[in-house]
Amino acid sequence: MSRLSHKNAPLLEVKNLETAFSIDGEFHNAVDGVSFSVKPKQIVGIVGESGCGKSVMSLSIMQLLPRGVGEIRSGSIVFEDVHLDRMSDKEMNKIRGREISMIFQEPMTSLNPVFTIGYQIEEVLFNHMKISKNEARLKSIALLKSVGISRPEKLVDEYPHQLSGGMRQRVMIAMAIACQPKLLIADEPTTALDVTVQAQILDLLKSIQEVNDMSIILITHDLGVIAEMCDEVIVMYAGKIVERTDVESLFYNPKHPYTELLMGAIPKMDEEAEVLSSIKGIVPSLKNMPQTGCKFAARCPKALPECSAITPLLGEVEKGHDVACILYETSLPREGVNA
Amino acid sequence: MQVNTVKETRITTKAVKGSSPWAIARRKFLKNKLAMTSLGFLVFVAIVSFLAPYITTQDIARVNIGKMSLAPSSEHWLGTDKSGRDVFTRLLYGGRISLIVGLSCTGLVIILGTIVGAIAGYFGGIIDSMLMRFTDFVLTFPFIVFVIVLNAIFGGQLNGLWILILVISFLSWGSVARIVRSKILAEKENEYILAAISIGGSPFKVIVKHLLPNVMSTIIVQATILFATMIVVESGLSYLGFGVPAEIPSWGNMLSSANEPDVLQGKPWIWIPPALAITFTILSINFIGEGLKDALNPRSRR
Repeated sequence: MSRLSHKNAPLLEVKNLETAFSIDGEFHNAVDGVSFSVKPKQIVGIVGESGCGKSVMSLSIMQLLPRGVGEIRSGSIVFEDVHLDRMSDKEMNKIRGREISMIFQEPMTSLNPVFTIGYQIEEVLFNHMKISKNEARLKSIALLKSVGISRPEKLVDEYPHQLSGGMRQRVMIAMAIACQPKLLIADEPTTALDVTVQAQILDLLKSIQEVNDMSIILITHDLGVIAEMCDEVIVMYAGKIVERTDVESLFYNPKHPYTELLMGAIPKMDEEAEVLSSIKGIVPSLKNMPQTGCKFAARCPKALPECSAITPLLGEVEKGHDVACILYETSLPREGVNA
Repeated sequence: MQVNTVKETRITTKAVKGSSPWAIARRKFLKNKLAMTSLGFLVFVAIVSFLAPYITTQDIARVNIGKMSLAPSSEHWLGTDKSGRDVFTRLLYGGRISLIVGLSCTGLVIILGTIVGAIAGYFGGIIDSMLMRFTDFVLTFPFIVFVIVLNAIFGGQLNGLWILILVISFLSWGSVARIVRSKILAEKENEYILAAISIGGSPFKVIVKHLLPNVMSTIIVQATILFATMIVVESGLSYLGFGVPAEIPSWGNMLSSANEPDVLQGKPWIWIPPALAITFTILSINFIGEGLKDALNPRSRR
């Protein structure tokens, strides 16, 4: 914390990140020039359809890309003045779990089936602290209690298959916050859970965030989750940020046609729609991604002929509200500035 | 009997604590009568073999010309062989050698194969390619020829038995490496492996603490099969005269005297005991292997 020079300096700063996957020997960008920052204690939501690069970005930040298949091609990821993208695995291991933690989508498979819950939480502690076996056990019981598990003393000796999905996700959260990290990356933490459990888990994340003063990057495709949790929202499409703003203006004043369509696709209880509205088409696969122009042009109802020729830039339309769409002047390429 | 009661008390304490995958497997295995009988037989063979010096007082090596090829009697329970050595004594000591060779080879092969397979499977890419090509290379060696040649080269420099064990092991780890690698490849895709890395676990830790326990069931089953195979390999090589040095009794060495038609037809007490010993030991190991496979398979509910 002392390393932060002034209060509002970002905790994490991602600049022009390009992460590519090799398909048949060719690299294709899954994350294509993404820049954003996370301030201390901020909850940043990243939203988008399947396949738009949300998860790849989180794996890039954690340096967990599959070896030999995915790699960061350019850009930088700076966490508290250190370049994560330049770190060796060994240095990164000191940060993973300690400074930055991650929770995954599938609580059913993210715990190792052959070890007890307690053993797995203790492992995080042993990885990063000098701590005795007994202290670690007491600490893991306390952690389980803090994530709202009612009989932690018993649960530490149980195995993952004895727990429900919601309980497992709580255990995952306990593991993630064990060392009080400054940043938590939650990759669709509630997608695999049913709705009531979802709400509980989100409440839990929020209260932990407040108590521990941590920042959260919340990756989801559920706008309801975004509305409930986030301060700032990033909308991604096909590896690019198409809109970035605070949560209020995203819901009341969406600017990008894609965001508008996403909003329209939220089912509403008070309308008697026979057919739920959806966005036509799918995100193009990495191999078929258009190289120039707006990647959403082919599915966009407001598309102009120029859309497939001009690559829109992320420009500030209103204060604190950035959009990448050539319907707005700020997105037109400027002289001397290159994306 | 005593062994049994100790085991059972341990199980009850474990069951109270919570049913780990291992505890469930153990319970299933204990219910499997065939496997338990086989295990009992194998333990009996092992005890009798390793306590041989206390059971029989005959000298295994002493040639006694006056007592050549005697039929079974009260003095020599299973008779004597062509050099006048007590067959029963040699059978016990032979079991010792066969079991030592089988166990040591299995141990070495499993260790080597697991290390190579785990590293190749976990790291992938160029490391995987290089290790697996090396594995393929070793697997192409003609086994018998190599054992014979290497044994001949190194023979006399070390205790002959250990040469044989090292040579067999070095030539046999390939298949285990392949199996472990494929298992690790599948297992490492699970999210808990990503989770283990995301909490700051080093590759070594992730492999040893997270991946290996999850492929352990495969390794264990593989080990039992290997154990049986290795006993057969040892017997086969010794029968041919290329295995354990002739002065050390082993079941294979004892069988090789059945080469002579005279022994084969007229003196069955010389070759039938080792033959039966091999057969029943292999059978019981295979039954144990089957039992373990059933017990460790989460889908089987027997």
